Amino acid sequence: MFKKRRFITVKKEIARITGKDNVRCDAVELMAYSYDAGLSKAAPEAVINFDNINQIAPVVKILYQARIPFLPRLAGTNLSGGTIPLKSGVILNLSQLNKIYQIDTTNNIAVVEPGVVNINLQKELDKFGYFYAPDPASQKVCTIGGNIGENAGGPQCLKYGVTSNNISKLLIITPEGDEITLSEKDAGPGLMSLFIGSEGTLGIAIKAWLKIIPKPKIIKTCTAAFLTIEDSIKAATKIIEAGVLPRALEAMDKTCVDASENIIKNPYPGESEAMLIIELDCDDENEINKNIKEIKNICDNCFSNFFRVADTKTESEALWAIRKGAYPAMARLAPNVLVEDGVVPRPKLPEALKKIKAIIKNYDLKASILFHAGDGNIHPNIIFDERDIEEVKIVKKAGYEILKTCIDLGGSISGEHGIGIEKRVAMNWLYPTATLELFKNIKTSFDPENLSNPDKIVPVSLDSRNEIFSKTHSSDNKILNNILNEVKSRYRADAQSVIVGSDSNSNKNLENENNILSLSALTEIIDLDRENFTVKVEAGIKISRLKELLKTSSLYPALPDYEGTLGGLIAGNCAKNIKNILIGLDIMTSNGEIHSFGGKTLKNVAGYDVAKLFIGSMGAYGIILNATIKLDSKNQDFFEAMPGAVSRTMSTKTAEAMPGAATKDHAHPATTTSAGRQTARFTPGKYSRRLKKVFDPKNLFNSRLYNIKKDSPALSGKDVSSLKDYSMKKLHKQNDLFKLSEQDK
Amino acid sequence: MKNNKEKNDLNSETKKEESAKIETISDFSEDKSDALYDYNYLYSHKDIDCHLPLLITDLGEKKLYDSLSQCNRCGYCETVCPTYMLTGRESISARGRNQIIKMAMTGKIKNKEDAQESVFSCLLCGACQSACYAKVQTPEHVLEARRGIKNYSDTFGVKFGMKILLEKPEALALWIKLGFLMKKLGFAWLAGKLGIYAILGMPAIKEAQETIDNPPLKFLTDYLKKDSDLNPETCTAKEEKITWAYFAPCGPNYIYPKVGLSTINILKRFLGKGIFLDNFCCGLIAYNYGKLKDAKKFAKKNILLFEKYKKKFGDFIIVGDCSSCVAFMKTYEQLFADDEDWRLRAKNFGQNIKDILELAPKFEVKELSGDAKEKLQLGRVTYHDSCRACHGQNIRQEPRDILKKLAGDKFVQLNESDWCCGGAGAFAFTQKQLSKKILLRKIKNIACSRAETVIAGASSCLMQINVGLKNHYPSAKVEHFSVFIDRLTSATARQNDRTTENSNKN
Repeated sequence: MFKKRRFITVKKEIARITGKDNVRCDAVELMAYSYDAGLSKAAPEAVINFDNINQIAPVVKILYQARIPFLPRLAGTNLSGGTIPLKSGVILNLSQLNKIYQIDTTNNIAVVEPGVVNINLQKELDKFGYFYAPDPASQKVCTIGGNIGENAGGPQCLKYGVTSNNISKLLIITPEGDEITLSEKDAGPGLMSLFIGSEGTLGIAIKAWLKIIPKPKIIKTCTAAFLTIEDSIKAATKIIEAGVLPRALEAMDKTCVDASENIIKNPYPGESEAMLIIELDCDDENEINKNIKEIKNICDNCFSNFFRVADTKTESEALWAIRKGAYPAMARLAPNVLVEDGVVPRPKLPEALKKIKAIIKNYDLKASILFHAGDGNIHPNIIFDERDIEEVKIVKKAGYEILKTCIDLGGSISGEHGIGIEKRVAMNWLYPTATLELFKNIKTSFDPENLSNPDKIVPVSLDSRNEIFSKTHSSDNKILNNILNEVKSRYRADAQSVIVGSDSNSNKNLENENNILSLSALTEIIDLDRENFTVKVEAGIKISRLKELLKTSSLYPALPDYEGTLGGLIAGNCAKNIKNILIGLDIMTSNGEIHSFGGKTLKNVAGYDVAKLFIGSMGAYGIILNATIKLDSKNQDFFEAMPGAVSRTMSTKTAEAMPGAATKDHAHPATTTSAGRQTARFTPGKYSRRLKKVFDPKNLFNSRLYNIKKDSPALSGKDVSSLKDYSMKKLHKQNDLFKLSEQDK
Repeated sequence: MKNNKEKNDLNSETKKEESAKIETISDFSEDKSDALYDYNYLYSHKDIDCHLPLLITDLGEKKLYDSLSQCNRCGYCETVCPTYMLTGRESISARGRNQIIKMAMTGKIKNKEDAQESVFSCLLCGACQSACYAKVQTPEHVLEARRGIKNYSDTFGVKFGMKILLEKPEALALWIKLGFLMKKLGFAWLAGKLGIYAILGMPAIKEAQETIDNPPLKFLTDYLKKDSDLNPETCTAKEEKITWAYFAPCGPNYIYPKVGLSTINILKRFLGKGIFLDNFCCGLIAYNYGKLKDAKKFAKKNILLFEKYKKKFGDFIIVGDCSSCVAFMKTYEQLFADDEDWRLRAKNFGQNIKDILELAPKFEVKELSGDAKEKLQLGRVTYHDSCRACHGQNIRQEPRDILKKLAGDKFVQLNESDWCCGGAGAFAFTQKQLSKKILLRKIKNIACSRAETVIAGASSCLMQINVGLKNHYPSAKVEHFSVFIDRLTSATARQNDRTTENSNKN
């Protein structure tokens, strides 16, 4: 009861901002916001409809003052319970904020409000011959705001990247009611990337600058059918291995296709068990035909029993209707459907599929399976009736087992649907407690009162048994252990460090430093996965060296020629493309904790995107130990592969090496960055400071960047110099790993 | 062993997590026991006569609760629901309505009257059903919910109107004529006050009549009864084969006689010999106003009429020219779901009823010559999908094809053509604000198409769009499909006749 009173105190004040009719507390209205497309339910205590983005900040401020939880909501098509008001509170209904402000084909940017429906934007862009890459299957209903919240993907993300790769700038209301702008051009840590995919827990995006891409001249849709699912996956994997990068590579099984049979006619022979949809785009007709030929060969070799290239636009649209209708069509088979969203490294797909099928069979459930074959994202659609409580339990159990399987295979629990409520438990299996604590602290740094979409993403009850997991990091790597010990001892001694990769990146200001922590000895390639096109490599390796090593396997990272180390490139944000190819990162925080973020999968939305936060963090948040990056089979065309992220921000040096990028680069001289310049420019804001406290509360790493007096009380009043001396001397004896400059005394 | 242990771990973790939730699914999920199945909080057993026993859905016959449960909340219907798109409110969206009705049925919404806004704001356009893969029958659910909310069909106007329409249509006709006469004499306000239009059960008429330029004092039936060609009694089967029978819906009958006359002209021109059924109201009004029993009576009368002439003439199709009525008659089967005999007869009737729009492919027409177009002063033409044509009967392409054929490049597509215009029976009257918004959106789209003529296929659309165009975009006018086709083909028909005559002479 007190909950209701809680809102009544501020109701009038809010009504003054939004208008009386837009604040609603009547029972039926509230019940209508108690569900989404997932299974969890809980009703809010009030709903506020907005018709102007300027109303949001003042309302959030009032709610913050009154400590009432709130939750931004748009179409409510979330599949993981992300829009369920767990702590009751207020629903901020943004679905009427659906203005498209601007479509700027000169700078390839569209400016929109969060309530714009994805397909409506695509339709508008189409008039100008452009498109916006993220195209979730639910694009007919889902909104840009929701896409940002979940870091949505879609078939096209195989080639063009997910939402976080396709946004240039965001206007955000923080949970405290501040209006801030986050941009990929910001110096410093990747706050915008951290925000994207945060499921409304870090604030509300109220305006987005989206990258739009000119439509390719030719788009061809092919489809193939196979007698077994295994064959279809084999074909999909081989297509990627052959170096063809389709615009989309989707697979579904017979159940999916059959479910929508009454509604959409399909061309497949009756005995087919699995279908692939392969869409290619290119400006060059010859090349596309060559690729189609190649794909057909691959399919034939994998025993496909049907192959067809769509002749007309209508035909290809019909094919996509089957694919995009696969989930809603499950409604024809049973009242409810649970869509899992596990993701594994692509080469593990056959194994994952086998195990998933076994689980489904084991529990005697009925499910269709569709997957984004290109990026290893599997969606088993398990059908059931939510009115049967026993069945619901079994389905959930099976779902969790599927997620565990994906984790076991080196994958993750969510590729694009988000964690919400329904996968919170699974976070315990994916991350050790320390990392989950870190996530919690990240949330707190944006939302100190835990008001914005509370209790999502991070499990409410942390599982202490996860210690086993974190121990795996204490490897045999001697160098790593040395660094770890050193960091720990410095932490105990409150000694500051300056993190340095190779020397190349350091600027002259650092010369006086006496406590450099060099990572140049970390140069091993940990895991080169040829089939998956990824490499996990220690951060101290020089880019040139890495390229050389990979070249022998004819693999190419889409990185500019850069003198420094990989870690330096990431920490300094020296190549904008790094955002698009970095998929995993291991870091060490100043207290010697090691955390892993991301991994070998191309998509991953489990937890906050800390890996991308570290891009541009300049060593102040933690030490980058190793990174996993995507590779290409061809050297030259990474610009084409990621048009949304054409490297406008590469150093001029790089631009010369990459003639294709040169012109664009010159068009944006202001955004040209290099580590040195960024250091000069970067002045930490409120939120990067708070995050600094999360990762490095004592301000030990690259402390110059964050004003000590202002923001790091942990250090004030302590004399650390003597301890520093001690540790330095000790180090000298240990090994030559840590470069120590001359003592300044 | 290890596996077991893991499983246990899994269980305990799951439990732990779930106990942490404030409200988990189990608190909300319903008991599937049979006792609850038949029991519901929406209406009591006593009122069972006022409700449909079964819904005939795309996925088989289902009880209301099962049919509601078929919605898995995927939300694909949201962006086609006009009331949601204009307000952004989940409670007046298609998915919201289904969920709210379900909650009202299971008692989660304690006071079912609270659900009024949600169910009464529905346009019943059926766009959600078109978008839904499972074809969840949201409009039927809404109607059931409306019937479950008390005092809905008990207003004097509706009761009296229904009775008179059933038993003495002539009296009703007189009544309306009285109203129209008053209007002609300049006493429109008086007619409104007397509640003449409310009695018809379509209060929207009261609003719309203000814009009926020429209220007819002679109704369609008056004309058709005089046409001896169409009289089924004087016509014998052996002499001539009957291919069609005209069904006069209330709209064309009472308000737009010209529409009916045009339909007859077209049918005669392209399909040959036919009759006029001298039918009863299709019963849609009764059905929509919660008078299921009356709706059944209307349906039975019409079915009997059809069967009578079927015996006499053999197979023929019944053609109507108001999509709402035709769509409803196609689903007469729904009314008799628990009555085996009548269900079959209703099904048979439904299979033989056709909308004039869907017959378009049978009209052999050629594009008009430039001269003819000029003569007819043919401007840009566009087509508005009446809800009950496109969503109710899946008629989309046929009328467009013929319009394209006739008007050539003068025919332009209308953006959001399958968005409801907001007419929707009484909607314009009961939900003024919303209806106005919906109408304005339609008018905006019409204006964007720069069309001078908007073609529609249902009386409700004609009235509503007419109101909108008069007030906001007077350079366009709305015309019924039949009237337009008749106008264009009669000219060409004459030309054709001449040429054929000439060739015959030669």
